[in-house]
Amino acid sequence: MRRPEGALARAEAWLFAPGDPRRLAALRIGLGTVLALRLATGPYLELARQPAALFRPISFLRLLHAMPPPAVVVALQVAATAAAVLAVAGVAARITLPLAWAGALPLVAMTSSLGKVVHNDVLLLLSLAPLLPARTADAWSPAARRRRAGAPPGRSVPYGWPVRTAMLVVAGAYFFTGLGKLLHAGPAWVTSGNLRWVLYASSDQAPLPNHAALFVADRPWLAHLVALATLVLELGFPLVLLRPRAGLVLVPCVLAMHAGIWVAMGLNYWPMAATVVLVLVDWAALADFYSHFRRLKKNHRPTPDSTISPSAQA
Amino acid sequence: MQTVERPAVPVWTRWFVAAFLTLFAVCGVAGIEAWPLTGWRLFADARQPVQVAWQAVTVDAAGHETPVPFRDLPAGFHGNVQVLKGFAALGAGEQAAVCRAWADAVRARGGQVEAVRVYRTVTDVSRRVGDRGAPPAREMRFTCGGPGGSRSEGVASRSTRDGGVAPA
Repeated sequence: MRRPEGALARAEAWLFAPGDPRRLAALRIGLGTVLALRLATGPYLELARQPAALFRPISFLRLLHAMPPPAVVVALQVAATAAAVLAVAGVAARITLPLAWAGALPLVAMTSSLGKVVHNDVLLLLSLAPLLPARTADAWSPAARRRRAGAPPGRSVPYGWPVRTAMLVVAGAYFFTGLGKLLHAGPAWVTSGNLRWVLYASSDQAPLPNHAALFVADRPWLAHLVALATLVLELGFPLVLLRPRAGLVLVPCVLAMHAGIWVAMGLNYWPMAATVVLVLVDWAALADFYSHFRRLKKNHRPTPDSTISPSAQA
Repeated sequence: MQTVERPAVPVWTRWFVAAFLTLFAVCGVAGIEAWPLTGWRLFADARQPVQVAWQAVTVDAAGHETPVPFRDLPAGFHGNVQVLKGFAALGAGEQAAVCRAWADAVRARGGQVEAVRVYRTVTDVSRRVGDRGAPPAREMRFTCGGPGGSRSEGVASRSTRDGGVAPA
């Protein structure tokens, strides 16, 4: 009985441990930028003009009988994009970031109201959710710069949990994706010809044959290997939480997986891949490393004496 | 050297994080779609080589069939796979409305549409002909429109294996 309680206490201590305000600010800037790009370039106006007969709503859009009208969609898109840009800049982020997120919700829901859930932006929205009530602009923002007269904020509890909650969401998303495969297909997801048939069908539906897909599908051993690697990667992804150094391998592997899906099936999951990098990389540590490197470089600026090589000195 | 503050975690923060993570985990484990929370079902089913699908074609005045170019139509038309999958379950009026939407979109691109036909296709993707799969077996299931105006009706099954024209 003690062990689960101990594990829960350790998990709680990890989740609510102090964090660096710059890492939280990096999430606001990075995820906010991806959100702004998605909002500015999404096909929302095209979707708004969809004939009502083709509307297959999800979630709260079931309250409507058709896509929201174009005028409403344009107004929402402009307002949400502007709010996201302001949040990225750190202007009134406690208001602008929730506004951008709330504005994005119905717009992104429209992309999933064609009959199938599109997961591309879901991870981005869910990773942003813990940032909504957080103090994301206490660093790397105009207000933080104005406060520079005093000491910069140190590591503190309010800066830690939003980042770690987002990390749990990212790790959980891949774990649940793998778990879903195990629960619905079982080992057959790897041991049957599943991946071959997926790749053949995808290539056959494309205007031209996809040679990357056919390369894998034509080689049963390779298809099994890729399927096994995918499942192991997805189920093992939460290791990034337990062993941060595992991220050095797992994060590039996830990026490679998304790149492979894009090349072989034409499915572009860049917002999901970008969210993984933005949430799991310790940007504050990278900033410290960069400053340290710059200081070292400055201190070792060549002087007439230091240009003499050791061999010459000898 | 930065100082480490350790204020107590506010109660609302604990509740917010606990509720959010619980909902996220429950949806993930149980595969519940409560968007934006999701069951993360991405390619979760094991595919078989024999795959049933649906195809919509337009018919011009000469009786020639042309697949509806969904990829080239606006984003609102890209749910064709799911709409076709549920087509049989729609009421006659809804089927006619769907056909009319597709026909209007094709006409807007300069196409001539006298009728829309919906085929059920069965493809064995393991049967390869060069870089492509063997042509699917087709069975016409529905037709809308034609001289009698826009209507939807089940028609007698008619199969072809060559993927060619199969007039009603």
